[in-house]
Amino acid sequence: MRKVLSILLLAALVAFCRQGLYAAEGKAFCVYTDNRSPDNHYIPSGWMGDTGDISMDDKYMGEPHAGSTCIKFVYTARRSGGQGWAGVYWQNPANNWGSKKGGFDLTGLNKLTFWARGEKGGEIIDKFCVGGIKGTYPDTTEVSIGPLELTSTWQQYTINLAGKDLSYIVGGFCWVANADYNLEGLTFYLDDVRFDADATLKPEAKKAAAMPFYIYADKGGMVNHFIPAGWMGDYNDLKINLGSDENPYFGETCIRIAYSNEATNGARWAGIYWQNPANNWGSIDAGYDLSQAKKLTFWAHGEKGGERIEEFKVGGIMGDFSDSDTAAIGPVVLEKDWKKYEIDLSGKDMSFIIGGFCFSTNLDVNPDGATFYLDEVRYE
Amino acid sequence: MSHFCRTQTIGLRMRRFLGIVLLVGIFVATAGMGPALRGKVYIKTLEGRHYQLIADGRPYVVKGVCYNPVPIGQTHDYDFWNDPKEPWLLDGALMQKMGVNTVRFYQPGDDLEATKRVVRALYEKFGIRTMMGHWLGFWNYPAPFYDDPAFRQKVKDDVLAMVKALKDEEGILFWCLGNENNLSFGGNINPWSSERIDRMEDPRRCLLARAEVYYAFVNDIAKAIHKVDPDHPVAMGNGETVCLDVAREHAPDVDILGVIMYRGKTFGNIFASLRSTYDKPLVFVEFGADAYNAVTQEEDEDMQAFFLKSQWSEILANVAGKTEGEGNCLGGAAFEWTDEWWKHDEGAAALRHDTASNWSNSAYYMDIKAERNMNMNEEWFGIVRLSEEKESGVDKRTPRKAYYEIRELWKGESI
Repeated sequence: MRKVLSILLLAALVAFCRQGLYAAEGKAFCVYTDNRSPDNHYIPSGWMGDTGDISMDDKYMGEPHAGSTCIKFVYTARRSGGQGWAGVYWQNPANNWGSKKGGFDLTGLNKLTFWARGEKGGEIIDKFCVGGIKGTYPDTTEVSIGPLELTSTWQQYTINLAGKDLSYIVGGFCWVANADYNLEGLTFYLDDVRFDADATLKPEAKKAAAMPFYIYADKGGMVNHFIPAGWMGDYNDLKINLGSDENPYFGETCIRIAYSNEATNGARWAGIYWQNPANNWGSIDAGYDLSQAKKLTFWAHGEKGGERIEEFKVGGIMGDFSDSDTAAIGPVVLEKDWKKYEIDLSGKDMSFIIGGFCFSTNLDVNPDGATFYLDEVRYE
Repeated sequence: MSHFCRTQTIGLRMRRFLGIVLLVGIFVATAGMGPALRGKVYIKTLEGRHYQLIADGRPYVVKGVCYNPVPIGQTHDYDFWNDPKEPWLLDGALMQKMGVNTVRFYQPGDDLEATKRVVRALYEKFGIRTMMGHWLGFWNYPAPFYDDPAFRQKVKDDVLAMVKALKDEEGILFWCLGNENNLSFGGNINPWSSERIDRMEDPRRCLLARAEVYYAFVNDIAKAIHKVDPDHPVAMGNGETVCLDVAREHAPDVDILGVIMYRGKTFGNIFASLRSTYDKPLVFVEFGADAYNAVTQEEDEDMQAFFLKSQWSEILANVAGKTEGEGNCLGGAAFEWTDEWWKHDEGAAALRHDTASNWSNSAYYMDIKAERNMNMNEEWFGIVRLSEEKESGVDKRTPRKAYYEIRELWKGESI
């Protein structure tokens, strides 16, 4: 009996130790509370994309959520580096992109919460995330939420980390925004960013998305899903305006895509994938469960008529995490007037889709380039 | 002797007796097979629409490699069938040790007698069967004119000559018509058309018209082969799943769908999705991964082994009888057995193992961040690497990590 009790005691002790330091002490693990707070961990050193478009004040004193300061970010969306997006990672140690050992073992904690507000309200952040830094010493997980539309008053947001491996996290927190959703740029504020242990929290199950499920309805609408971030081929020859007011089919705006005939990157073809999250080529377990979708429909027209798109496609991204299926139509010769197109999804497995929509075309069939418009892109 | 020991001894005797009975049974069954079954290959449909390839009366999972033994310094037109150094003897022995039971040739040699000798040697010496292909004139210059009856007849005659010459070889497993010829429908490679098709103007209608013409042509050849050689199934080598809905209508007499697919770690949903597009037994006639990392600019055996192992695992999970899969896969032939040094740049460059990439494929994500995303190195797909050092007169073969990993995977499978 004594032996059994000893074993049970040992097992309990092992289980207790595996909960990790922070949970064992019942403490929060703070990323930011106030400027220069000894409780802060991680450094907002990982500036990405158009870094020249970002400015940060981490001791901003105007209306913090709590304490005496919060962090103010201004993103001008001027595309100073030609990327069209920008973001910041909180790293440990500073500037660690996975090339050296660092990070924290956050085992036992299961959520990150933060408070955020926009200067005006309506600012769109592509994603807030935990982890995701690659390299020789990569993070053990990546979890993100977004896109999110901020309000002008403080709101608390939660990233559910239940069931995730948090044993090595270099990138403690991150935000990313893009110029297409924020044509005029944005100003937003963050405060009280912290990891906690929440015994009531369960791992998040992916739910089948309800239909219709929009990829694009109107500019900046929160109803939109997927980000047109997967630029391919001669990507420098593409320009996309997600807020074109040139004769939208429905609503106030449509998408205008201009493809010039310069073959800047030497590929002679180009295309864009709408991804979740942005730039996910199958490296992140994200995407949507679109198994209720029977078809994808969209409206399109060419500027002159006669523009040829080789393929409109859904799914088909293959990586460490791959789209569960793919379907396509094409070639399509666009007309000058709006016309509805449909990709039939019957018999397809749409339960895991990272690449929500895609087009590709080339210079052989568009020697002078092509300008075309898309609107009301949605799963039904 | 204790009761326990006696039981053991009786058990041992019983097992020996049963073993002898089993051996006699196998002998009788084999002897009784006769010419009608020997060499006959066919598809059996099992419960739940599982498809099984049967060869010589036994279930057969294709554990294959694409085989094109072009020596260093030679190019695509090298007649390896008449290579006096007989590289297939060295390769056959290595393949046998790995567990390879099938090779895929893309086309027989002009010398069908020489082709026959190679097929026979591989089978008789190593038990390796042949999936014999035919390009169907796809690389003819100028472009293939599948809408031209005279062109079709010429190609058909050539295929039937191949079948007649080789059908009685016991080593023949099945025929494989074409290799990604369907990718020409949209004009991306080897574009072809006709006045009739061009008059349709709408590119989508033109594409579908080409698909109809081509698949009907393949079907016509399949039917002709069945008449000449009822003992071997006919496969069609299709690039990805492009236009298979058209094939369903126009190529119903093809027995096996051969797919060429490079999707990285996984084949995705193809096993299930074929049920609603082209419900035929599936064999991957080309798939794989290269062993050169375009980012680090170094040979990367781990990367190749990772992808190949993952791909083979999916194939084996979807063969007949496996409860976790669709049961519609017959196996596959990985691309390819040896590196081919001529593929990036022919001529003098065939003496050099080029490290330049020929194409880009983001599904092979480990080196997709190479310059211009060019990460696929066509000269580095070999499961064995070639070197200029000679062994039995041919370029020395050195198995890469994938050779051993797949060998172990196959060993662990009850197939």
